[in-house]
Amino acid sequence: MNNTLNFSQFRHQSKKGIVIIYLNLLYKVFKAFWLLLFLFIQKFAKIPENTLTFIYIGLGFLLLFFLIRAFLIFKNFQFKIYNNHFILKKGILKKTNTSIPFDRIQNINYKQNIIQQIINVHEVNIETAGSSKAEISIKALSIIEAKALKKAITIYDKKDAANEEEIIEKPLLKIGFFELIKVSLTENHLQSLLILFALLVGFFQQISDLFDGLGKREILDNYISENTSTLETSVVLIIGLLIFFTIIAVLSSVVRVVLRHFDLTVFIKNNALEINQGLTTKKSVVLKKAKVQHITVSTNPIKKWLGISFITFKQAISGKVKKKQDKVIKIVGCKKAQVLEIKNLLFPNENLEGFTKNLPDIYFRFRLYFRTLILLILINIGLFFGFENNYVFGLNVIILPIFILFIKLKYKKRYYFFNEELLVVGQGSIETHKTILPFFKVQNVKLKQTIFQVKKNVADIVFQTASGKVKIPCIPIEKALLIYNYTLYKIEISKKSWM
Amino acid sequence: MIDSFKNLEVITFPEIANITFRKIEKSYLKVILINLSLLFLVLFALLFVADYINFFELQYTFLRFYISLSFVYLIVVFIKIIGLKKRKYAVREKDISYKKGLFFKSLTTVPFNRIQHVEIDQGPIARFFNLASLSVFTAGDSSEDLKISGLLKEDAQQIKEYISNQIDE
Repeated sequence: MNNTLNFSQFRHQSKKGIVIIYLNLLYKVFKAFWLLLFLFIQKFAKIPENTLTFIYIGLGFLLLFFLIRAFLIFKNFQFKIYNNHFILKKGILKKTNTSIPFDRIQNINYKQNIIQQIINVHEVNIETAGSSKAEISIKALSIIEAKALKKAITIYDKKDAANEEEIIEKPLLKIGFFELIKVSLTENHLQSLLILFALLVGFFQQISDLFDGLGKREILDNYISENTSTLETSVVLIIGLLIFFTIIAVLSSVVRVVLRHFDLTVFIKNNALEINQGLTTKKSVVLKKAKVQHITVSTNPIKKWLGISFITFKQAISGKVKKKQDKVIKIVGCKKAQVLEIKNLLFPNENLEGFTKNLPDIYFRFRLYFRTLILLILINIGLFFGFENNYVFGLNVIILPIFILFIKLKYKKRYYFFNEELLVVGQGSIETHKTILPFFKVQNVKLKQTIFQVKKNVADIVFQTASGKVKIPCIPIEKALLIYNYTLYKIEISKKSWM
Repeated sequence: MIDSFKNLEVITFPEIANITFRKIEKSYLKVILINLSLLFLVLFALLFVADYINFFELQYTFLRFYISLSFVYLIVVFIKIIGLKKRKYAVREKDISYKKGLFFKSLTTVPFNRIQHVEIDQGPIARFFNLASLSVFTAGDSSEDLKISGLLKEDAQQIKEYISNQIDE
């Protein structure tokens, strides 16, 4: 082993790391102050020259300050491997020393954002189970170093380290560009639109805060009300908007899917799944079998017709993680054979075919109708106070059939069954989801009944896992108790570690 | 077709429905009542201040607000008294269970071999009555784990020790 791959001494990350840390710092500052910058550029002509020089000097100092800071962060960031522990020293003034035993390390993931791609370094993230502050991110390592580090850490994990070399390089799943487009066109566009809306609302908030601060609130308000008053009169405009939004929705899901899942490849290595994907930010994630708590196989009518579905893996969440999203790993565009293969990898020797689907009690449908009724009443109250015009109540004619359709679908798609080890829960409305949860991964069980459910002798049963809840609503109480007892029995006799 | 339920009947296992649950301490009612009364005292005080400075600028008298708040207080107290009787817990060989709820009944069981840690805490008022609450944490977003309030301090300590021993085994 040459010197660059020796981890027994404290070492820095790749020198290119300074660039990454520097840009990262600048990006954070920019994100916080971009509006000020925007204003500055707008007023550029009006600022007197000597003030401008001061501003330039100030900016220069600021840039220099961050450069020095980046350098110091780099200088003080050192790591080594010692006695089966990963040890990290960091901090400029407040020094921290972290030591993580190997068996606490959940995953080692590579990531490359666009800058890291340009200067050809990899970000290595070490995920641990336990407190979230122990998550470690090394911003820049060359691919050789990254691989060596990973090997040094994982070698302990497997006794048959020799097998490591004989990796079958044939991917289980590889999604080409056109395939990906096909996937993205069949996404849930409504959801994409909502995500886009959420982004825009955040953006708008920032802008309106700015106008507020400048006392120009009325300009913005006038502008908006001027445009909305013409909107109310013109039906053509509404239809135009609808078409516009549809296009936006489809476009946004295409962009989202392509950005996230570009060049998706899935390998099976050493009983774990290795998933590589992403366009601007390339991510490489290793999913260890034991860490996956439950999986959900989902599809929608069009995807079903094309014979594809997507799989969501839920990993154990450690402590209170802010970015829960990171623990949810999704792969898209799976064919039936691939779904089966993944199922066999995660749950070997389990037969899930030929079981009768247990349906929820009729009370479940009643509850759906009841809740919808309350929602409808709320909507109508909102309409009553929100609009002067009585015609808006016509909206009910459109909403009602949609709601009823949703309820019918929701009721129809709910089912559950289980074999000795696995629980399968089906649900969905337009989309169809099938969740597979091994009984021994459950953390605690809960039986819930409202006073109405007591009368009808039905109950909800909730399985709390380390990665969220799985619910079976409204099943007969005797059956619920049976499952309850059986789950407890399974957990209590299990010797396997849930993680 | 295989029926999931018939498929399992070969195994017999302990049933949750057959175990006897213990009620929590009766003196916990006092703790609840004192806490509630303090809360409503603050609300009444706020109402009084609002009345005094005529915050809402109303023409009619404030009496109706006082009456309705008192009404709410009585109802809440009544629900709490009945609800308290529904709070029960049971410790078995391998798990701990807790039942509660009047309108929304729930029963939770946490097996010992999934418990991450156990905590006992005592509020100022509960301490006066020598009561404590026992919280059990499992992995994941632990917001919805099990918490039993109104145990005797000694009982809570005993359960905690028992669980700790079970986890270590």
